[in-house]
Amino acid sequence: MKPGDHVQVKTKKETIKGILMPQQGSFVVIKLKNGYNMGIDKKKVVKIKKIKSGKGIGKIKTKKVKQKKDLPKVTFIATGGTIGTHVDYKTGGVFMCRTPEEILATTPKLANIINIKTLSPFTTASEDMSIDNYKKLAKLIADELNSGAQGVILTHGTDTLHYTSAVLSFMLEDLNKPVAVVGAQRSPDRGSFDGKMNLICAAHFCKSDFAGVAIVMHGSSSDEFCYAIRGTKCRKMHTSRRDAFRPINELPLAKIWTDGKIKIINENFDKRSDKKVVAKTKFEKKVAIVKVFPGSDPSIIDWYIKNGYKGLVIEGTALGHVPTGESGTKAGKFNKKMSWIPYIKKAIDKGLVVVMASTTLYGRIHPFVYRNLRLAHDTGMIYGEKLPSDMLPEVAYVKLGWVLGQTKDCEKAKEMMIKNLRGEITKRSDAKSFLF
Amino acid sequence: MLSHSYFKMDYKKLGFKCGIEIHQQLDTHKLFCECPSNIVDGKPDKTVKRYLWAAAGETGDVDIAAKHEMSKKKYFEYQYFKESSCLVELDEEPPHPINTQALKVALIVAKLLNAEIVDEIQVMRKTIVDGSNTSAFQRTALIARNGFIKTSKGKVKIDLICLEEDAAKIVKRTKKFDVYNLSRLGIPLVEIATDASIKDPEHAKEVAAKLGMILRSTKVKRGLGTIRQDVNLSIKKGARVEIKGFQDLKSMPKIIDKEIKRQQRLIKQGKKVSKDVRKAEDDLSTIFLRPIPGSARMYPETDIPPIRPDKNVEVPKLITEKIEDLKELGISKEIASTLVKEKKLKMFKEFRKFKNLDPTFIAATLINSQKDIKKRYNVEPNYGKEVLEKLFSSLDKDKIAEEAVFEILVEVSKGKKIDISKYETMSDKKLEQELKKIVESKPDLSMGALMGIAMKKFRGKAEGKKIAELIKKWKKG
Repeated sequence: MKPGDHVQVKTKKETIKGILMPQQGSFVVIKLKNGYNMGIDKKKVVKIKKIKSGKGIGKIKTKKVKQKKDLPKVTFIATGGTIGTHVDYKTGGVFMCRTPEEILATTPKLANIINIKTLSPFTTASEDMSIDNYKKLAKLIADELNSGAQGVILTHGTDTLHYTSAVLSFMLEDLNKPVAVVGAQRSPDRGSFDGKMNLICAAHFCKSDFAGVAIVMHGSSSDEFCYAIRGTKCRKMHTSRRDAFRPINELPLAKIWTDGKIKIINENFDKRSDKKVVAKTKFEKKVAIVKVFPGSDPSIIDWYIKNGYKGLVIEGTALGHVPTGESGTKAGKFNKKMSWIPYIKKAIDKGLVVVMASTTLYGRIHPFVYRNLRLAHDTGMIYGEKLPSDMLPEVAYVKLGWVLGQTKDCEKAKEMMIKNLRGEITKRSDAKSFLF
Repeated sequence: MLSHSYFKMDYKKLGFKCGIEIHQQLDTHKLFCECPSNIVDGKPDKTVKRYLWAAAGETGDVDIAAKHEMSKKKYFEYQYFKESSCLVELDEEPPHPINTQALKVALIVAKLLNAEIVDEIQVMRKTIVDGSNTSAFQRTALIARNGFIKTSKGKVKIDLICLEEDAAKIVKRTKKFDVYNLSRLGIPLVEIATDASIKDPEHAKEVAAKLGMILRSTKVKRGLGTIRQDVNLSIKKGARVEIKGFQDLKSMPKIIDKEIKRQQRLIKQGKKVSKDVRKAEDDLSTIFLRPIPGSARMYPETDIPPIRPDKNVEVPKLITEKIEDLKELGISKEIASTLVKEKKLKMFKEFRKFKNLDPTFIAATLINSQKDIKKRYNVEPNYGKEVLEKLFSSLDKDKIAEEAVFEILVEVSKGKKIDISKYETMSDKKLEQELKKIVESKPDLSMGALMGIAMKKFRGKAEGKKIAELIKKWKKG
């Protein structure tokens, strides 16, 4: 007997007919004729009799991909996430299981926009994404783009989507074509699946003139348009809204409608070209983000030093502060041991590259405005030399790992961290970009 | 008015099968969020535009009703009112754990209907893509099965009792898009479905009325649109249809008969009767709404773990039982019903602590005084429970007469302070002396005129009956 079979469940009181569902703990679950699922305490069940075989539960529709030679070739890479979920009878929640074909079945219209090739290197939730997964993806994308694909759509879990878009931005050197990173906030087993519009807009983006990695997701709560946001300037800013992905410290690159209309908002992007993409995937894994907060114990830095870390991103308060105990004339009861300054100095002396990024996400850091900033800057921590940085902490983390993968030379690494490589540091702060 | 038997159909011969489904809004906050269950109209705080798709159910099939709606290719506009909706209604936030208060009401209803509560409740998603749910499904849970109610024509079985969320309210339909108001979305509903054993249209009305009474005995919403009845029916060679949108119970038998006639007409013409959801119109006929959905539209709600219900909830007395209890105290049916309907039963029971008071007097005072003050004095009744407490207490100690209670309530409503001393009952001896004086000083006046003068002077201080007796005594004397 298997889930999906038509059965009769006999209890002391009655006989219940229905379809057997996967069991949940100490309950036998039956789908009644009216569609409701009902749990029956196993202790009450006298006998379960099979009436006839069913067609199985949890079957998902798939779509065979037909090649449409006259449309631009786009490679569709599915890696899991909400956009590829289905009910999980082990836990009762949803899990990432869909193949690219099963995702495409939700949006058959895609086949009228692009000529699709599907790939599925692995499926995972985005919080389970690893550096090795990033390397695999970067190589795969470079190979595809160098062998004729006009663009790539990468479907992915949304929680760490912005880490992936940033890491791919750094790993793919001379990226010559569009790479759209796409997810969904509502799963495809619901009629309000938002991934459908995201996929369609991503397909249109892949046909555009843009070269680079961008996140393509809902621009508002309505199913009206998507924004394409630079992979290094984007962040998930809400746990569950469709429009959770927002540009930080710059405007989105473009607004995209499902009918293919694209309106450029931010002209600052590279154009499609014939350059060859190089996947530079070396990445230093011994890199971490350390967050500053009132009462935070800086001795945590010692742990990183002891465990062989090569780089740290310090998430400081606003303009880039860390506690020093020297900020005023009456420092109050500040315990000198809580000053971060000696620990940061020690880390730098030991050869770690230490970078500052702000907890506020929005705005630039600054090395000079307050005494405490100067004290912190004097340690050798990176604030950006001529141009104070407006890098997101997550982007700084990914960039530091990648930079330290490219060079072991601290000075060279420092130089690379200060320089804008993939649009991660803007030159001018656009007033309109705040809370966009 | 023509009675219903005018049609004189033999329903048994027709193969008449009929069941009722009732949806009743509960008087709690929303089922899966903390928003109040208030309907709001007017200018929305925000409007959101959405498309919905027909997703496949658990068994991999797409539901027929869902396919029908999808064929219209419409989009939807949702009006959001911040005071009664949040991100949950906008389908932008997962549902919160089920409202335990609403669940309790559903369990109470199940017990009142003699039903078996399920061992484990699994919230389901019922696919609905007509736009009335932003998520494209309605969350619904089977609470209990196999109940029954007793009726004049025998027991009627209750197949299922469900707890579900109400849908958004339609504002406007156009060819390209429909507009919905989100404030109703998520209000808890108890759904009760009988089996198809209802004998005839009048019986359907009786069953609906009884179920309504049972529901009103619990914490439910009252007023227009808070309860909705659907009728499922079929006849031999016809097909099962579901009729929605009954305005009142009175028209139910006639609408059912008209539907039977429609099906008979189609059968006669050799046409196939289709399984439809139909809507009752003002002229008591029905029109097609959509095909009847099947079981393929049900999918488990993965955001909410299964719930083990408390099967030992305490059950309140039914409205009918409460009325019977009051009648046993000698209170009239009308006052008893009003007492229950206006939710004054609790107060009534509290005032029963005054043992010397006649329960019928307490009940009548609670129900009639306000109306009478307004009617007779054109004054807005304005007194609280404390005033009644004080008056009943004085009456209990025999300090004032029953008549004084109303008099003082009038005075208080006029804005005057309570002055009980003014109304304190006179001793019989004093009253007699005073009356003797009046009668002797005006020997020429008639009995009626004397009564008028006396009542004016002693109103509230002595009972009218006693005054009349004494005047008679001295007049004769």
